[in-house]
Amino acid sequence: MSGLKKLLSIAAAAALGVSMAAVNVSALEAYEPYSYDRWGDAVPSQAGYTAEYIVDGNTIGCGAFSEPSDIYFSHDHKFYIADSKNNRIVVTDVDFNLVGIIDELEYDGKKEKLKAPAGVYVDQYTKAVYICDTENERVIKCDENGKIDRFFEKPSSELFSEELTFNPKKVITDKAGNVYVVVQSVTKGAVMYDSKGEFLGYYGANRVEATSKVLWNAFWNTISTEEQRARSVKSTPTGFTSFDIDDEGFIYTVTASREVKTDAVKKLNPKGANILETLGATETTYGDNPPAYYSLYSKESQLTDIDIGPNGEINILDFVHGRVFQYDKLANLMFIMGGQGEQLGTFRSAQALETYDNKIYVIDALKNNITVFRRTAFGEIVTKATNLYNEGFYEESYEPWKDVLKYDGNYRRAYIGIGNALFQREDYKNAMKYYKVAISRKRYNKAYEGYRNLFLKKYFSAIVVFIVVIIVFVIVYKRLKATGRLGKKRRRRL
Amino acid sequence: MLDLTKGQFLKHVIFHPFEGFEDLRWKKGGSGRIAFGIVCLLFFQQLAWDRLYGFQYYVAYDKLFNIVPYLFKSFVLFFTFVVANWAMCTLFDGEGSLKNIYINTAYALVPYITGYLIGTFLSHFLVQDEYIFIEACEIIGTAWTVVLFISGIKAVHQFTIWKTLWLLLLTLVAMVAILFLLVLLLTLFQQVLIFVLSLYTEITYRFRV
Repeated sequence: MSGLKKLLSIAAAAALGVSMAAVNVSALEAYEPYSYDRWGDAVPSQAGYTAEYIVDGNTIGCGAFSEPSDIYFSHDHKFYIADSKNNRIVVTDVDFNLVGIIDELEYDGKKEKLKAPAGVYVDQYTKAVYICDTENERVIKCDENGKIDRFFEKPSSELFSEELTFNPKKVITDKAGNVYVVVQSVTKGAVMYDSKGEFLGYYGANRVEATSKVLWNAFWNTISTEEQRARSVKSTPTGFTSFDIDDEGFIYTVTASREVKTDAVKKLNPKGANILETLGATETTYGDNPPAYYSLYSKESQLTDIDIGPNGEINILDFVHGRVFQYDKLANLMFIMGGQGEQLGTFRSAQALETYDNKIYVIDALKNNITVFRRTAFGEIVTKATNLYNEGFYEESYEPWKDVLKYDGNYRRAYIGIGNALFQREDYKNAMKYYKVAISRKRYNKAYEGYRNLFLKKYFSAIVVFIVVIIVFVIVYKRLKATGRLGKKRRRRL
Repeated sequence: MLDLTKGQFLKHVIFHPFEGFEDLRWKKGGSGRIAFGIVCLLFFQQLAWDRLYGFQYYVAYDKLFNIVPYLFKSFVLFFTFVVANWAMCTLFDGEGSLKNIYINTAYALVPYITGYLIGTFLSHFLVQDEYIFIEACEIIGTAWTVVLFISGIKAVHQFTIWKTLWLLLLTLVAMVAILFLLVLLLTLFQQVLIFVLSLYTEITYRFRV
């Protein structure tokens, strides 16, 4: 039972630590920073990011935004903001000083205009700008002065149904120059073109979630006739909403659906297979766990945008709650920030996010501005520890994780990190202690195995002697009983 | 022959699954107190299995604790079975009295409880790869109890084996009926209580005015 006592005292100490530290930092935020524990329950946490300031069209000097829908930070350190209702792309530098506006483009000497551009992307190799010219039903490839190189239009292929509208929302390119476009009306994945504008096919479709309805349909399909099947509802997957490509060329997708949780976030390899699951992130729920604590209403998350940070962090934007969820590259939750509201750091209609260095930029279509989040001191330590940990430097991550616990005793990953460091030092007993607080069964099991092996090694001779003594004792006792000596003596005494 | 104390009879019954209960019946060696002790142990075993299991195998959600499910899984289910079995078997010419059914059923549970308690104990010393040992304890205990259980019911009513199995099935149906009625009764009483309470509130309001 002393283990339980220890656990309780650690928990109490952790709670005390939280209550003392929480006074300093979280009071700055317009929302309550929280995190999820091992059970999926929300627990108070420290703010990993703090909303620093907001930027709108007037501060940039290009006139007010009108329903901006996308923001992209290029590799040559410029922001590209798709200002939808103003039919333009605003280009600024890192500090939001106006660099240029792309609204009038030129193609073969003719003027071309944008109509409600929804997405923008800059190819890091060719510096070409790709714009989703949504209401003109095309994707434009141009240079930063607006000289159009090529259009990517609705594919005239039998793979692409005639009836579908071509409404591109997001665009990215890969190293080979292939262009991927998220088209809202397409559920088969991203529409994929080669660099010359040839339609190649679809990439990375979501799977259909095995809901009871889908299974029921599948059952009926096996017994119904051909005609009935043609008339019945088809089970189609939800098309994904947004994507991003990291420097290694992996494409990440998010799917904004309240009902479907399958494939909500994917990391796709070139074959189009989700490798987040093979990395061991099968149990991660992206976005808020329903019901979302710290909110007055209980709604399912709707993930609208994804962005990969400099260390491979996966940043996900939840439109419904107006929150940004930051995961590390193995999809472990790091921080949650934001909320619904009017104050700094909260949103009314969060559309897109972008990261650069230690900052996160979120664009709001109703507030018509960009909110800049900066990583806090706590965030820096967690990021440092996480990076060390993910690269396998458990020993080196020991101190940073200890610091993390000074800020936030609820931070579960810190206990695991410290546990791993101790495990590597073969300090199994303490590793077990930390794993127990983190409620990590598998790791505890490993540490216990190590602890037991050491114990057995240490006391092996003592144990053997003990067993031999017992065996000898039993044999002697039985002999004596069989020959009757023991029995006789007893009887005499009685 | 067989001049055993009540405690020795328990041991005799457990290690002689086929004639033990017959001996118990003719010698009237059963003890209601020991049987009640076993049911209490069953309750403790259910609790231990859910809450005191080795950390490397299972972690209970310890932010919430409710004793009612454990009470239900031990006492309520046990006594419902006894009553249902008695009610059914009496109709089908079973010879067992309520007390004898109760004693035999409780005695039959001993290997199950022991197997699971040993499993729970071992779970603190074994790692996940060695789960097979715990599983073996639990399976052996359960199988043993099933044999004892059928033999006990058979002996107490002096049935053939097929009639025993058939009546166990009927007992199951009767248990469901009893539990359903219990829930119904509880709900009704709740509503009566609410009615009385609101009546009281109404009356106090009248007097205040």
